[in-house]
Amino acid sequence: MSSHREAPAISQDPVADNADTYAFVSPDDPTTVTIITNYVPLEGPPGGPNFFEFGDDVLYSVYVDNDGDALPEIEYQFRFRTTLQNEDTFLYNTGPIRSLTDPNWNKRQLYSVSVIRSAGPAEVLANDLACPPCNIGPRSTPNYDSLAAAAVHRLPSGETVFAGQRNDGFFVDLGAIFDLGDIREIQNLHLIPSPAGTSVDPLKSLNIHSIALKVPISLLMRDGSVPSDPASAKAVLGIWGGASRRKVQIREGSSTKGSGPWVQVSRLGNPLFNEVIVPVGDKDRWNAVDPIEDVGFEQYVNQPELARLLPVLYPGAFPNLAAYTKDRADLHAILLTGIPGGIVPGFQNFTGPKPADMLRLNVAISPTSSNPNALGVVGGDLAGFPNGRRVFDDVVSIELKAVAGATIPLVDASYTVDGAVGAVSSYLKPGVDRYQTTFPYLGSPHDGFDTPSS
Amino acid sequence: MERLSRRSFVKIAGAATGAAALAAAPPIARAAIGEEGAQPTDPTAGVPEEPVVAYVRDAERGEVSIAAGTAEHTYRDRALVQRLLRTAGRKGVS
Repeated sequence: MSSHREAPAISQDPVADNADTYAFVSPDDPTTVTIITNYVPLEGPPGGPNFFEFGDDVLYSVYVDNDGDALPEIEYQFRFRTTLQNEDTFLYNTGPIRSLTDPNWNKRQLYSVSVIRSAGPAEVLANDLACPPCNIGPRSTPNYDSLAAAAVHRLPSGETVFAGQRNDGFFVDLGAIFDLGDIREIQNLHLIPSPAGTSVDPLKSLNIHSIALKVPISLLMRDGSVPSDPASAKAVLGIWGGASRRKVQIREGSSTKGSGPWVQVSRLGNPLFNEVIVPVGDKDRWNAVDPIEDVGFEQYVNQPELARLLPVLYPGAFPNLAAYTKDRADLHAILLTGIPGGIVPGFQNFTGPKPADMLRLNVAISPTSSNPNALGVVGGDLAGFPNGRRVFDDVVSIELKAVAGATIPLVDASYTVDGAVGAVSSYLKPGVDRYQTTFPYLGSPHDGFDTPSS
Repeated sequence: MERLSRRSFVKIAGAATGAAALAAAPPIARAAIGEEGAQPTDPTAGVPEEPVVAYVRDAERGEVSIAAGTAEHTYRDRALVQRLLRTAGRKGVS
């Protein structure tokens, strides 16, 4: 998956598991950028009575690099606290929840938002902002969308925030891809063949917890401007998310206390980087370090394991890929430095030679308002991945095609793409309920009553 | 090991805001900063809300780390390390 349970340690710690990070110029408000970081992967909607929530003991961060040094000049911090209205019931709610202050809603989460700019002091932007409840069912959360809408908070400092349960927008045929790289539509060509089938999307009925942040572009740029020239280096932002825990945890009775510095336990810039590129023995280390230290993972991008596996798993389908032994400069650019100008007409998101896993968003490229292509830049839509990442971008298809060789000609004109690359795809089209056209852009979460199994 | 990136600095600077427990660190730290042997404790020192945790990082090198508030510092204090190890019922390292 993009980064759902992608590393051994974080797979044991769902509330701190950064499963997806998105960053895009807001399509309905193009003077702003929206950044979404998702946590608590694979939420089964009926998972009560202790429905899913953020970790009170986790520091959630959104990082922005606006000068290409792979270090954050801006960090937004989110901290949560859980309150109980009634300790004498086992219920999440004791009646219908009709507002964010409804006394029937027993277990609630509130959060604070702070920002740190250029290593200055933390500035608290807001305290005690309400999360919406989880979507329980028609008796408990009869008008869920109104609850979610009430949990969109506009801050005096200019940002808009939302933190709570949403529909997981990521899509992939999990069951197939982790069964030795199977793609059902072409599994007749697999080393262990079976008749061609149809891909399925197990995430289509699962929820996620999202921290969504919409920020005026001028607040993110180094000089407070709103860039309009896509060719300008200062138009590109590096963006990633991360979660940290206190270094020491002491359990005493039923309480847990923390002490010491915050230690990063999860991070995510590009989708699938840690999941597919980094080998399992290095995944926990990758989560613990910062993008500035990604030079230590460069070799996994230059010689990706998946590119060696595809010709083995699909014998005879990828002869040119099998014969290609050079370092993958195309993947290095897409994932670690951004794509320089002059390679894709009208596009660049280069942040400099420092290799670092970040989403790189060129904010001077306007959002695609009609018929955006989920294949992003590969599909000719410069507003999509790897120019940042939109919620509906088909990052599985894009990255599979890229690893399979589709993007090698961008840097090596002598290379001929294997014909089978055209058949490498997620083959999935997410449903219309998966997303929404306004902030926070991920759709309303599935309720547990109507989605009892997943 | 302290990471020396700007990000680490950002985190420490930010998280320290409002962390009352950090105020408890200096008296504890003073007992160990570069000094061999025990120091008298200050009975008027503030009591932190969070646990202050000292642990022997490297007994051979006489290193003890102290986590307090959102900071952690490592000191070399063989006497303190020996006292901790004796208290823990283990043989001290000379």
